[in-house]
Amino acid sequence: MSRPALLRAQGLSCRFGGLLAVDGLDFSLAPGELAGLIGPNGAGKTTCFNLFTGRVRPIAGRIDFDQRPIAGLRPSRINQMGLARTFQNIRLFDDLSVLENVLVGFHGRLKASFLSAILRLPGYAAEEERMFTRAAELLDLVGLARLSDERADSLAYGQQRLLEIARALATQPRLLLLDEPAAGMNPQETAQLASLVRRLRNEMGLTILLIEHDMRFVMNLCERLTVLDQGRIIAQGAPAQVQQNPAVIRAYLGEEAGRA
Amino acid sequence: MDGAQLAQQLINGLTLGSLYGLIAIGYTLVYGILRLINFAHGDVLMVGCYMAWFGAVQFGLPWWAALMGSMLLTALLGVLIDQGAYRPLRRAPRISALITAIGVSFFLENLGLVVFGGRPKAFLRPEVFNQIYQWGSVRVLSLSLWTPIITALILAGLLVVIYRTRLGMAMRALSRDLVTVRLMGIDTNRVVAATFAIGSALAAAGGVLWAMKYPQINPLMGVLPGLKAFVAAVLGGIGNVVGAMIGGLLLGLAEILLVAWLPQLAGYRDALAFVLLIGILLFKPTGIMGEELPE
Amino acid sequence: MSRGWLTAGPLPAAHTTRRRDQRLTILACLAAAGGLWLLQAFASGYVVHMTCVAALFAVLAVSYNLINGVTGQFSLEPNAFVACGAYVTALLTLSPAEKAASFILEPIIWPLSMISIPLLPALLIAGLLTALMGFLMGFPVFRVRGDYLAIVTLGFGEVIRVVANNTQSITNGPLGLKGIPHLTDLWWSGGLLALTLFVIVRLVNSSYGRALKAVREDEVAAEAMGINAFWHKMLAFTTSAFFEGVAGGLLAHLITTISPSLFTFFLTFNLLIIIVVGGLGSNTGAFLAALLFTYGGEWLRVVEEPLNLFGLHIPGIPGMRMVIFSLILVAVMIFMRQGLLGRREFSWRWLLAFFDRRRA
Repeated sequence: MSRPALLRAQGLSCRFGGLLAVDGLDFSLAPGELAGLIGPNGAGKTTCFNLFTGRVRPIAGRIDFDQRPIAGLRPSRINQMGLARTFQNIRLFDDLSVLENVLVGFHGRLKASFLSAILRLPGYAAEEERMFTRAAELLDLVGLARLSDERADSLAYGQQRLLEIARALATQPRLLLLDEPAAGMNPQETAQLASLVRRLRNEMGLTILLIEHDMRFVMNLCERLTVLDQGRIIAQGAPAQVQQNPAVIRAYLGEEAGRA
Repeated sequence: MDGAQLAQQLINGLTLGSLYGLIAIGYTLVYGILRLINFAHGDVLMVGCYMAWFGAVQFGLPWWAALMGSMLLTALLGVLIDQGAYRPLRRAPRISALITAIGVSFFLENLGLVVFGGRPKAFLRPEVFNQIYQWGSVRVLSLSLWTPIITALILAGLLVVIYRTRLGMAMRALSRDLVTVRLMGIDTNRVVAATFAIGSALAAAGGVLWAMKYPQINPLMGVLPGLKAFVAAVLGGIGNVVGAMIGGLLLGLAEILLVAWLPQLAGYRDALAFVLLIGILLFKPTGIMGEELPE
Repeated sequence: MSRGWLTAGPLPAAHTTRRRDQRLTILACLAAAGGLWLLQAFASGYVVHMTCVAALFAVLAVSYNLINGVTGQFSLEPNAFVACGAYVTALLTLSPAEKAASFILEPIIWPLSMISIPLLPALLIAGLLTALMGFLMGFPVFRVRGDYLAIVTLGFGEVIRVVANNTQSITNGPLGLKGIPHLTDLWWSGGLLALTLFVIVRLVNSSYGRALKAVREDEVAAEAMGINAFWHKMLAFTTSAFFEGVAGGLLAHLITTISPSLFTFFLTFNLLIIIVVGGLGSNTGAFLAALLFTYGGEWLRVVEEPLNLFGLHIPGIPGMRMVIFSLILVAVMIFMRQGLLGRREFSWRWLLAFFDRRRA
C-alpha cells in the first residue's frame, strides 16, 4: 500500500452477552477504496460498523482512523473526524422534513455558537446559507430534491435509504460506511444506487465500505471483498476470488442448511 | 451509641424497611412487565388506607377484616386503573404511559383532598399491635415486631405464586419479552391485570401497616413513601421481587441510622432516598440484584 | 403529511417572506405592548395580576417545553429551578430590615443580611445561578434516559425542597420569606415573556434547534451525524433553567410571600399538563395552553364556589379544579396524545392563508 490505511483495526474484539461478536479482527482500508463486507447473518458485520463508529466499545484491540486512535471515543467525535455511516434499520429523524434531515448533518461542523444563532449574527447567517445551498445539492445528487419539504417518514423505503446517504454525506466524511444500502430496492433503484456509489468514490474522493447481502450488487461494485463469519475474517480479496473460496461457500451453505 | 440503642434503631429500620419493601414490590412487578413506573402506586396505597379506615371506623369491622377488605378493594382499583388508563396506551410511546401515570396519581391525590379534606384523620391501632415490650433500655412497639413478620409471610406467599404457579410463570415470561408472549397467544391482559392486582393489594397492606405505625392518614400520605419505595426497587434491581425487598430494607435502615447517628441532619432524611438513587444510577444502574439495564 | 403549509397562490421569494414576517412580528409586538399599557393603566388589580401570572406561566411553559418537547428529555425539574430563582431573587432584593424581621428562628447569614439590590440585577444573578444549578445537575441527570430521567429530576426537585426547608439561616426554612416587594407588573412579565419567546423561538428555528430535535427523534443517529447529544441536552437544560429561574424571581415579587411548600411537585405537574395539552414540542402550543390554563383555571374556580342554579344550592367543592385538570391530562393522553397543536408552530403564512381562505 503506497498510502497509509485510512481505517485500520487490529485485534479488535467485542462481546455481546456471552459470545464474542467480533473476535480478533485485523482489517484495513486504503484511502479511495471501494470495499465490501459480506458474510452470513449474524457474522458480526454491523457490529464492526458499530465498533468503527464508536457506538460499541471494544473489549480488546485498537482502531485507527487516519492514523489516530478512535477506540472509546464518542460517536459524534468520530464522525467529526471524518467517518460517517448509514444504518441497517433506517434511522431517520421522522418528524423532520427531508431537507431538515440533511441539514442536521451539517450541524456537527457548525462553527457559530448558539448565541450567534439566536442573534442571527452575520457569521451564523452565512454558515446557514451555505448549509441550505449544500443540502439542496446533496438532495439533488441522490434525486430527492423535489421531496425536500416532505416528512422523512412519508418517503418510500428506497428513498429513505437514499436520504440516509445524503444525510451522512452532509457530515463531510472521508470514509462512508453503508449498511445494506440496497435492501428493499428494486433492480432499477439498485442500479442507480450502484452508479451513485461509484460517483461518490470517483468524483468526491470518498472511501467506501459497504455491507450487503445482494451478491450481484456487491460483485459488480466492490473492488475488494472481506468475508466475515462468526466474528472472524475467513476470506479477503477480489470478488471473483472470494466467490470461489471454499470456506466462503461453506459459510453461506451453512446458513442455507440452517435455514432449511 | 451503645448496643441497646443500636438494637432499637435496627428494629426501627427493619420495620420501616419492610414497609418500603412491600410497596416497592408493586413497583417492581409492574415495571418488570410493562417498563412503566406506576406513579399512581403510592396513591393507591393511600386509597387502601382510607378504605381500611372506613371499614374499621365507619363499619366497625375488626382490624383483620378491614385489612383484607381493603386489600381486595385496592386490588380492584389497581386493575381498574390499568384497564382504564394504561391499557389504551400499551402500544404508545413509553413517555405517554408515564405522563398518564402521573395524571392518575394527581387525580387520586386531589380526589382524596376533595373527598376527605386535607386534615389528617386518626387511624386505628389494634390492641395486639399496641403492646410495648421492654428489654433493658430497648422499648419496642409490638407492631414493630409484627411488621417484618407479616411482611416475610407475604413475601413468601408471593414467591410461591411467582415460582410455583402458572400465573407466576406467565408473569416471569412477560417480564422477559412481552411482545413474544403476546404473539404466542397467551392472554397478556389478564396477566397484567393480575400483576396490578397483586401489587396494589401489597401496597394496601403496606399502607395499612404504615398507617397503624404513625397512626394517621391524609390524602397525600402516599406520595413520599411511594417515591422512596420506587427508589428502593431500583436499589434492589428493578424487576426483581427479592431485590425490591432488600432495597426496601436497606433504605429503611439507612434512613433510621442517618437520623440516629447524625441527628442534625434529621431534616434531610427524605432527601436521602434520592441521593441514594442518583448514586446508584450513576454507579450501578442495574441495582444490587438486577440484570436488566434500563433502556 | 406534507410539511408545507397551505397557501393560496404561489410562494413568494424567501427573503421577501422573511422581511414581511419580521415586519408583522414587530407590529404584533407593538400591538401587544400597547395592550399591556392599556391594561396596566385601566384594568383592575385582579386582571393585571392574572395577566402577569399568565405571562409568567407562559415563560415557564415555553422553557419547560424546550427540554421536554423539543429535545425529548422527559424531566420533572421545573419546580426546583423556579424555587431556586424565586429564593435567590428574593434574598437579594429584600431589605435588611425585612430580613431581620422574617428570620426569627435563626438569623440570616452574612452577607445576605446586608445585601439589597434592585430587581433587574437580582433577576439576572438568579437566572445565572439557576442555569449553573441546571448545568451541574445535568452531569448526573443525563447519564440516564427515559423513565429514570424523570425520576432523577423529580428526586432533585425533592432534594431542593428539603434543603430549602432545612437551611434555616439561608431560606428561613418552612417559614419562608415574606414582605417581598411587589415589583412585578405587566412590563416585567411581558418583557420576560418577549425575551423568552425571542430566545427560544430563535433557538428552535436555528441549526441548534434542528440538532435538539434530532436528539429527540433518534439519539443514536444524531450522535452518528456528529451531534454531541450530551452537550445539546445541556444546552436545552441550562437555557430552560435560566428562564425558569428568572420567572421564579418575578413570581416571588408578584405574590410577595414564598415558602418551600409553594414549590412542590404540584407546580411541575401543572406545567406538565400545560405543555402536554398544548402539544409537546410546540412553542406556540405551550404559550397558548399556558394562557388557556391560567385564565381557564380562574374561570373554573366557579366549580369551587357554591352556586345557586335554578334555586338549587350547589355547594362549592374546593380542590375540584385540580381533579378536573388531572382528568384532562389523562383524557388528552388517551385520546389526543399530540395535544392541541402537536408539533406545529404558528407562522404568519398560516395566519394569512387562513384569512385568505375565509375571504375566498
